[in-house]
Amino acid sequence: MPASDRSQDPRSSRTTTWLGIAGFGAVIAAQTFSILTSPAEGDMGDLQKIMYVHVPAAWMTFLAFLVVMIYSLRYLWKRREDDDLLAASAAEVGATFNGLTLLLGMIWGRPAWGVWWVWDARLTSTLVLFLIFAGYLALRAFVDDPQERARWSAAVGVIGAINVPIVYMSVKWWRTLHQPQSSPATLDPVYTRGLRLNAIALLILMIFFIRKRYEIARRERAVEHAAETAALGGR
Amino acid sequence: MFASNLAFVIAAYAVTWAVILGYFLRLMRAGGRVAGAERLAAGPGAERGR
Repeated sequence: MPASDRSQDPRSSRTTTWLGIAGFGAVIAAQTFSILTSPAEGDMGDLQKIMYVHVPAAWMTFLAFLVVMIYSLRYLWKRREDDDLLAASAAEVGATFNGLTLLLGMIWGRPAWGVWWVWDARLTSTLVLFLIFAGYLALRAFVDDPQERARWSAAVGVIGAINVPIVYMSVKWWRTLHQPQSSPATLDPVYTRGLRLNAIALLILMIFFIRKRYEIARRERAVEHAAETAALGGR
Repeated sequence: MFASNLAFVIAAYAVTWAVILGYFLRLMRAGGRVAGAERLAAGPGAERGR
C-alpha cells in the first residue's frame, strides 16, 4: 500500500478544504462588517479598527500554544507520533499568529505611542514567546532522529506554553505602556460584536491551518517511513 | 492626523492578509512537495494501478 493511502483520508481532507473556505469567507465577512459598522473611537479615532485584527491574532496565538502544550504532554505520556506532529503543526501556526500580533502591535504603537517598539513587559514577553517557538521550529529542523526530535520538542513546547499566562497577565503584574487586556467585558458594546466576530472567524481559519499542516506532516512522515523501509530492503 | 492614522489602519489589514495568505501559500507548496514525494515513493506504474 502506498504511504499516502494510510495517512490521507479523503473525507477528512474534504472537511479541511471546507474549513478553509469557511475560514477565509468568515474573516472577509467579519472584517468588512466591523470596519463598516463601528464608529470612530473618541480617543484613537479610526486606529481602534486595528483592534479587530490585533486582539484576535493574540488570542489565537495563546490558543495554538495551549494546543502545543496539551499534545506535547500527551506525547511525553503516550509516545504517540501523531501527538508530536499535531503539537508541531500548532506550534508553526501559533508562531505565525504570534509574529502577526507583534507586527500589528508595532503598527498600532507608532501612531498611538509615538514609537514602533518599547521594552515594556507585554511587548517583551510576547517577543520572548515568539523566540521560544521560533527556537522550537529550528530545533525540529536540525534534529534528525524522529524520537529525539519529538522528545526535545515536547519539552520546549511545554516550557514555551508556560510563558502564555505570563504574557496575558503582564499588563496586570507590571506597570506597562500597553493597555489592559481588551475583551468584550472591557469594551464599549458598540465594538464588542465586531471583536467577537473577528475572533470566531480567525479561530475557524486557525483550525483549518492546524488541520492542513497536520495532514501534510502525517503524509511527510508516511513517505519517510516508506523510504526507511525501502532502505532496509522491505523489512 | 486622520489621514496618517488611516494609513496605519490600512497597513495593519494589509499585513494581516499578507501573513495569512503567505502562510496559506506555504502550506500549498508543502502539500505539493509531499505529493511529489509520494509519487516517487509509490514507484513507476503506481498511478496506473489506482
